[in-house]
Amino acid sequence: MRIESKVERQAPFSLQVEGETLRAYPGETIATVLVERSPVIGHMANGDAQGLFCNMGTCCLCMVTILPEGRRVRACLTAAEPGMEIGLG
Amino acid sequence: MRKADVLIVGGGLVGCATAWHLARGGAQVTLLEAGDIGMGASGQNAGSLHFQLERRFLENGEALAEQAARTAALSRLAIDDWRGLEAELGADLHVVMDGGLMVAETAEQVGVLERKIARENAEGLATRLLDGDEARAIAPYLSAGILAAGFSGDEGHADARAVTRAFAEAAAHAGAILRMRSPVTSARRLDRGFEIACADETLQGDRLVIACGAWTAQICARLNLHMPLFPVALLMNATERTAKGLRHLVQHVGRRLSMKQTHAGNILIGGGWPARLAQAPDGTFDPRRRPEMIAASLAGNMRAAIDTAPFVAKLNLIRSWTGVTAISADQLPIVGEVPSMPGCWVAGGGSAFTLGPTFARLMAQAMGGRAAPELDIVSPARFEHLNSFMG
Repeated sequence: MRIESKVERQAPFSLQVEGETLRAYPGETIATVLVERSPVIGHMANGDAQGLFCNMGTCCLCMVTILPEGRRVRACLTAAEPGMEIGLG
Repeated sequence: MRKADVLIVGGGLVGCATAWHLARGGAQVTLLEAGDIGMGASGQNAGSLHFQLERRFLENGEALAEQAARTAALSRLAIDDWRGLEAELGADLHVVMDGGLMVAETAEQVGVLERKIARENAEGLATRLLDGDEARAIAPYLSAGILAAGFSGDEGHADARAVTRAFAEAAAHAGAILRMRSPVTSARRLDRGFEIACADETLQGDRLVIACGAWTAQICARLNLHMPLFPVALLMNATERTAKGLRHLVQHVGRRLSMKQTHAGNILIGGGWPARLAQAPDGTFDPRRRPEMIAASLAGNMRAAIDTAPFVAKLNLIRSWTGVTAISADQLPIVGEVPSMPGCWVAGGGSAFTLGPTFARLMAQAMGGRAAPELDIVSPARFEHLNSFMG
């Protein structure tokens, strides 16, 4: 998924999405982690699968919950951090 | 020169719905819209289907409340129109009519609700008073501070963006010609009928319908008519999506609030909080420019929502927008034929999402020769004194 050739990254860290342990690199957003996990990041009201839409903070369709405090953030504007726990509900 | 039976100015809900009714009745209809379908109040409103007397009619004296109650006959028709609309248009408009609550937080507000419901019942609307616990039993999201609620089983909401578009598509399918990006450049009365021009075409029609919301008075002025419809700017808001839990239309009898949950799960919050109309360089109001948001309106609207349904406090506000609608000099809509200018019909002035499909159907019916006495209460005849010196 990530560009691998001619790219140098810092050391990855891990974080949790829906209890799943995933890997991210410094500077990546939560949305990056979600999209690597699955192109389906949620569902529309009619049950259709929904991907990342605007990826610039406007549509607000990528909101996730930062656990345990329950804060809701836009995945596309929020940096992934080591040890983060993220809920998709 | 192209001729039509009916020319319509305004591609909002009422204009498109009127075009549909007339076209499927066999009339040749051309509609001119300055921008695009539903770009004014029809597409900017939050889609309430409200059949209880509005708060604005209850806080300006008994006379207005009494007069407004007489529009109940229109509300009764609108309930039936909305219940049949998706089937008739063959479109999914997210019409939800699971009931609506108008809540009260103080003893004084409960008194207003009681008088309101007595009026509505006298006019044949089946609203009833619930005490706080009864209201919370059907609407567990309501705050413990809610003392009572007026309940109408027919209230609800629909997707304002979908409704006008569906009417437009149905109208086009029935043979109406809908011209977008065609602002009216001139309008005049002929010996018989009317002549309307836009940049690249001049049209003649036997009849004219002016249904262009905040611009209605300007078009009427081109015909040498005063029409007391004034632009007003309002605020609407949407929260992020959340699990389904608010199935009613929620309004407040003493505070400005309307709240509903969309099909996608967002909570739409409005209720008549003002925004600031833009002004043209000459000092007149300019309804074409987006009104400016007023911070105190946003705060007040959110406070009313949270006090009524505390779970809203946990949600993120993802969008606020302003829109322009029109209000008449006496707050009631203005719908019908202008007595001093036979053949010229006007429709505008508030409640035109909820009542719009009914206004359109009744106007088309009356133009077709079958009287629509339900429109008498909102007829422009009550403002004819303004045109008595217009020559």
